[in-house]
Amino acid sequence: MTSPAVVLGGRAIRETLRTPEAIAPTLFIPLFFLVVNVGQAGRIFPTGHTSFLHGQGYAAFQLPASLLLAASFGSAAMFLVEDIEGGYFDKLRATPIPRTAIAFGRLAAEGVKSLVLTAVLTLVAMAFGVRLASGAFGFVLLLLLTAGWAVVFSGFMQLIALKTRSAAATQSGGLVFFPLLFLTPNFVPRHMLTHPMEVAATINPVTYIMEGMRSLILVHFDWAAIGKGFLVVALAGLVMAALNARAIRAYD
Amino acid sequence: MESRARFDAHVAVDAVGLVKTYTSRSGSVDAVRGVDLQVASGELFGFLGPNGAGKSTTVKMLTTLLSITGGSARVAGVDVAADPDAARERIGVALQEAGLDVRQTGRELLVLQARLFGMSRPAAAARAQELLELVDLLDAADRRIKGYSGGMRRRLDLASALVHRPDVLFLDEPTTGLDPASRLTVWDEVRRINRLGTTVFLTTQYLEEADQLCDRIAIIDDGRIVREGTPAALKAQLREQLGLNADPTLDEVFLEATGRTRDRIEGEVQAVTS
Repeated sequence: MTSPAVVLGGRAIRETLRTPEAIAPTLFIPLFFLVVNVGQAGRIFPTGHTSFLHGQGYAAFQLPASLLLAASFGSAAMFLVEDIEGGYFDKLRATPIPRTAIAFGRLAAEGVKSLVLTAVLTLVAMAFGVRLASGAFGFVLLLLLTAGWAVVFSGFMQLIALKTRSAAATQSGGLVFFPLLFLTPNFVPRHMLTHPMEVAATINPVTYIMEGMRSLILVHFDWAAIGKGFLVVALAGLVMAALNARAIRAYD
Repeated sequence: MESRARFDAHVAVDAVGLVKTYTSRSGSVDAVRGVDLQVASGELFGFLGPNGAGKSTTVKMLTTLLSITGGSARVAGVDVAADPDAARERIGVALQEAGLDVRQTGRELLVLQARLFGMSRPAAAARAQELLELVDLLDAADRRIKGYSGGMRRRLDLASALVHRPDVLFLDEPTTGLDPASRLTVWDEVRRINRLGTTVFLTTQYLEEADQLCDRIAIIDDGRIVREGTPAALKAQLREQLGLNADPTLDEVFLEATGRTRDRIEGEVQAVTS
């Protein structure tokens, strides 16, 4: 028998496909930031004279930030609030499935959605000259790392949705991503940041995901960087899964 | 002892001293204050009360959607607090708001619901087809629910509560907001479901609805049951109590039971006629 989480994940994917207006900004905004950031800073970091670019253009350095931005635009939590407000959530809670399946089904769908979006964004970037130093296997790792972050961040947003049951609060919670994204070596490598920014970036877990992704794009396989990225995603994923499970079981 | 055991076997809903207290930073609110209820198997039971009396809270506790602060409840023989999954296998729920995913088609929604109750894909598809026929939604089955009218949504919600052939069906204000024609259609469906052997626990604000449909009713006010019996018995009781020449209406029984005047109750409970 198919697991209820898989059945509900299928429903969440169908829901996404039927709401193209929710997907369009997820593709457009990260590409917009990629173009704008490269346009503004590309000439400061010319390919031939910037060692941290490893012979590529500045777009390759910026791509991870855009991928992380796209992965943080998950709509799972907003759809969950819609279910709560419309009463469908109670309909699902009245079935004899583990209640965690309701939360995990949506997170699984978010992971699948992120795999597709990351592939599309990366292919668009490659069409404009970005190369993946780690090749096809690196591409797979890049997809998994980004999708892993999408699941973690959606888990965080779902947690707010389950606790507040409010669309406004859930949407506001998503803004947390901006400090997380900008307190990172977003424009230059960590060692080039000012000291306070370097400290902030060092304690920000998103930094390690970004550095892992960047190593796959720029420097072939730097397993220390990649490993830290996956470790952060795994640990944060476990925490979010546990918190989501607790919140949905305690939902009253 | 023997008679008690025989009686229990025929009890679909058995609530004893049911209490629900909501606690927040601003204090606590007693929404349900010790409800005792027994509904016999096969019965069509009406649960009436003004807004905020505790109807929906009681239903949510009986259907495992809300934790129970005090007391106990068994539905279809299962303790809803001790074994909620087993209880959910035996109960169907259609809550006050037709809980539907409007991005799905009617058929998809029923198939999904059936699969969540453990049916294989072909079995779920067959059950969905059966239910769509039952609630007369075959023509609209493959259209998105977004385009359904209020009456169609109600019928679909009803169908989705029946996918697993529940022993007890809880309907929380199933006709609120419907036009008279849709309301009568839902009444027919409820009667048909009940005739097929399903116990129906119906909450309503429409007294005429309770009078038309229900074998027996209970009136809840301020979290407590204030009257219980068949509509005829409750009317006869009030007639005797007030020394009337003719039976009062169920509206009058309700007003007397809840201590409300017609002025006070305006906007809380509405009488409709078929």
